[in-house]
Amino acid sequence: MFDLNRLLCCACLAATVIAQGAHAASPSVTAVLTSSETVLGRPVQLEIKVSDARGVTPPRSIAADGLDIRYTGESQNIVMRNFQMSSSVTFNYTVMPMKSGTFRIPAQMLQAGGATLRTPELTLHVSNASAFGSNRAPQNSGQADLGKVAFAELIVPKTSAYVGEIIPVVVRIGFNSRARTEGMEPPQLTGQGFTMQKLSDPERSLETISGRAYVVFSYKTAVSAARAGNLQLGPIETKANVLVPRQSATRHTPFDPFDGDDPFSDPFFSDPFGRFLERRELTIKSEPANLEVKPLPPGAPASFSGAIGNFSLKAQANPKRVQIGDPITIKAEISGRGNFDRIDAPALSDESGWHRYPPAATFKQDDDVGISGTKTFEMVISPNEKKSAVPPLAFSYFDPVQEKYISLQSNAEPIVVEGGAAPSPAAAVGAASPAGSPTAGTVSTKPEDILPQIKERGAVVQTFAPLFARPGFWWAQLAPLVIALGLGGWKYRSRRAVDREARRNSALRREADELLRRLRRDELPPEQYLADASRVVQLKTALKQNVEPATVDSESAASVFGLDEARREELRRLFATADELRYSGASNGSVSTEKRREALELIEGLS
Amino acid sequence: MRKITVLLLASCALRLTARADFDRANKEFSTGNYKGAIVDYQAEVAAHRWSANLFYDLGNAYYRVNDIGRAILNYKRALVLDPRHPEPATNLQIARDQSRGLELTPAAAETWLGTLRSSTWAIAAAVCFWLGIFALFLPRTSATVAGAIFCFVLSAGCVYSVWSLESGTQGARSAVVVSDNAEARVATADSARSILALPPGSEVMILQERGDWNYAELPNHQRGWIAANAGEKVRL
Repeated sequence: MFDLNRLLCCACLAATVIAQGAHAASPSVTAVLTSSETVLGRPVQLEIKVSDARGVTPPRSIAADGLDIRYTGESQNIVMRNFQMSSSVTFNYTVMPMKSGTFRIPAQMLQAGGATLRTPELTLHVSNASAFGSNRAPQNSGQADLGKVAFAELIVPKTSAYVGEIIPVVVRIGFNSRARTEGMEPPQLTGQGFTMQKLSDPERSLETISGRAYVVFSYKTAVSAARAGNLQLGPIETKANVLVPRQSATRHTPFDPFDGDDPFSDPFFSDPFGRFLERRELTIKSEPANLEVKPLPPGAPASFSGAIGNFSLKAQANPKRVQIGDPITIKAEISGRGNFDRIDAPALSDESGWHRYPPAATFKQDDDVGISGTKTFEMVISPNEKKSAVPPLAFSYFDPVQEKYISLQSNAEPIVVEGGAAPSPAAAVGAASPAGSPTAGTVSTKPEDILPQIKERGAVVQTFAPLFARPGFWWAQLAPLVIALGLGGWKYRSRRAVDREARRNSALRREADELLRRLRRDELPPEQYLADASRVVQLKTALKQNVEPATVDSESAASVFGLDEARREELRRLFATADELRYSGASNGSVSTEKRREALELIEGLS
Repeated sequence: MRKITVLLLASCALRLTARADFDRANKEFSTGNYKGAIVDYQAEVAAHRWSANLFYDLGNAYYRVNDIGRAILNYKRALVLDPRHPEPATNLQIARDQSRGLELTPAAAETWLGTLRSSTWAIAAAVCFWLGIFALFLPRTSATVAGAIFCFVLSAGCVYSVWSLESGTQGARSAVVVSDNAEARVATADSARSILALPPGSEVMILQERGDWNYAELPNHQRGWIAANAGEKVRL
C-alpha cells in the first residue's frame, strides 16, 4: 500500500512536471556585464543567460573592437517553484579590455528551440588605471600568521561616484584550502552615508592566490551614497571557526627551498587523521574602501526623477483604434543598468486632451543584485478628444560616465480616435452655479449636467439590510408555519384514529379465529359451545359492520350477511339456545354432533 | 387617552420637523449653497430618515462640490433602496464618466441572477419552501413527492441566488472609494508597495476590516489593503 502511494505521488509529480513543461514559458535571453566600467587590464565577466530554452548553442567568439572576449564555460540552473519548473543556462565570457575608451559589445543572435533570440547591446567604459581607481586589497585578519589561513576583501569598482548612483560591491572571504571551515557568520558590511542592499547568497570557488589555494566565498551587493563627501565603506567583518594544522615542532632549515611553505612538511601528511588540527575562532576583517561622492550637477531636466546609470526606453501603445474615453494601455520598458528603485514612470510629453491613470510597475532584474534589468510600466490613458497619436513619453537620467543628463523620448505612436467630443472637465456650466451664491466661486463646474433635485422625500426606509435579514421577513414565515403545524397536527390525529380502528379490528379478528379453532376441536361443553358460536357470529358481524360485537343480535347479523329464511331461523335458534343456557343456567342435555356441525357450517358460511 | 394624544402630537411634530429639515436642504441646494445642503442632508441620514430620494439629492450636492467619490456612493445608496429609480441611475453614469473610477466586474452568474433583486429571490425561496412543505401533507403519491422535491430544489436555488447576490459586487461588502489618491497596497503600511491606484468612485469589496485598514477585492481581480477612511460601504 505504501509503495502504491509512493508510486501515485511520483506519477502525479511527473505528470505535473510534464504538464508544466508542456506549458513552459517562451524562451528569453538576457546579457549582463558584471560591471559596466573597468580599467585597462582588468577583465569583467559577461553573462548571457537563456531561460526556458533547450539546445542553445552559445556564440564561441564575440568580436568587439578594443575588447578580447573569451568563452569560459556555462552553467545550468533548474528551479521548481510551486510545481512550476523553469530552467536557464548561463554562458560565461571573460572580457579583457585592450585599450581605454567606450566599447560596445554587439547584440548576439542565439538559436533556441527554433526561435532566434537576440541579446541586448552592451556598453563597457574602460579607463586608464591611473584615471579610474578602484578599491581592492586583500586584507588579513589582523594576525601575523592568519594571512595564510583566511582573508577578507571588499571590492568596489570605483573610487568616485555620484549621490544616488548605484555601485556594485563584491565581498570576498577566502580560507586556505588546507584549513577546514566549520562555520562562518554572514559578513557585515557597514558604512555611514550609504544605503545597502542585502548580500546575495555566496558563490563558492577555488582560487590560487600568490601560489596558495583558497576557498573563496563571494557575496554580491550594491550600495548607493545618500550624501556627498568623502565617505568610507566598510570594513567588512565576519567571524569563522576553522580547524588549522598545528605549528610543527620542526624548525625550518636555512636551506628550506619553500620558505616554510613546503607542502610535504604539512602536518596533514604526517598526521592524516587530524590529531594535529586545532580549532581557531578567527575574526576576519578587511580594510575599508574610500569613496569620493559628488553631488549631481545642476540643470536636471523636468522629467528627471533620480535615475542614474545607463538606460534605454521603449514604448508601445494598444489598442490603435479607440473611441473617445476608451482606455489605451501604454507599455513602457526602461532597460539598462543603474538605480532602478529611483526610476519613476515616464511622463507624457503633452497631457492635454488625455486623462492619465496612475501606472503600475514591474521590475525584472538580470543580475543578482538588481543593477541590470528592465522596469516595465503599464499606464492607462484615455483620450478626451480626437487624437492622431499617443504623445511621446519622456524619461531622463544622469549618466555618471558621460557626467551629463540624458533625456530619452519614445516615438509618437499613431492611433485613431473615433466618436464625438468627450465631456471636458474644464467646460463650464453656468446654470449649475448661480451668480452671487455663497459657494459660487469655489464650486467646480461639470462637463455634463446631472438631473435635478427631487423635492419629495419619498418612502422612508429604516434599514439597508436585505429582505432576508429583516425581522419582518422571518415573522412573516410564522403564518405558513402555523398552517403547516395545524396540518401536521390534524394529520397526526387522523393517523392515530385509523390506527386505533385497525388495532380493534385486529383484536376482534384474532378472537373470532381463536373461537372458531375451539369450535372445530369440538371439545367444549354445550353451553360453552353455543356461547362461543354466537360470539363468533357477533364478532364477524361487528368486523363487517364496524359496530360493537355486544350489540349484535341474530336479526341484525342475518341482515348484515343477507341470509335466507332457513339460515336466518337457524341463526335465531342458535342465539336463543345460547341465551337460554347462559341466563337460565339449565342444560337440557347435550347438543348433538349433528347440530354442532350445522352450527359450525352456518358460522363458517358467514362472510 | 391623554397619553395617546401626546404621542400622536409628538409624532406629528417630528414629522413636521423632518419635513422642514429636508425642505431646508433642498432650498439650500437650489440657492447654490451645496455645502450647507450637504450638512442638512447628512443630518437626515444621521437621523435614519432614509429614502432613495434623500440619497439621490445628497449625491447631487456632492457632485456639485466636485466630490465625485461621495456623489457616486450616494447614488449607489439610492439605487440600493430603489433599484429602479431612474434619476440616480442616470446621474451615477454621468459621475462615473467623469471620475473614471474603476468598477468591479461581476461574475456571469451574478449578472444573470441580478436581473431580480435579492429580496425577490428571498421571497421566491420562502414560497417554494412552504409549497414543498405543504406538498408533504397531500396524500403520498409519486406526483406529490416529486412536486415536493421540485419545490425544495427551487427553494435551494433561490437561496443560492440570494447568497450569490449578497456576496457579489453589489452585495453587503460593496464599498466605494471616496478619497483622492487612494491606493491599494500589499500590506497595512503607507510605505508598502502599491498594487493599484484607485480614483474616487472606484468600487471595491471589503473582505476584512482591521483597524485603520480594510482588506478589499479590487477591480483588477487582485486583493489589497486600503486605508479605512479611503472608502465607505454602500449599505449603512
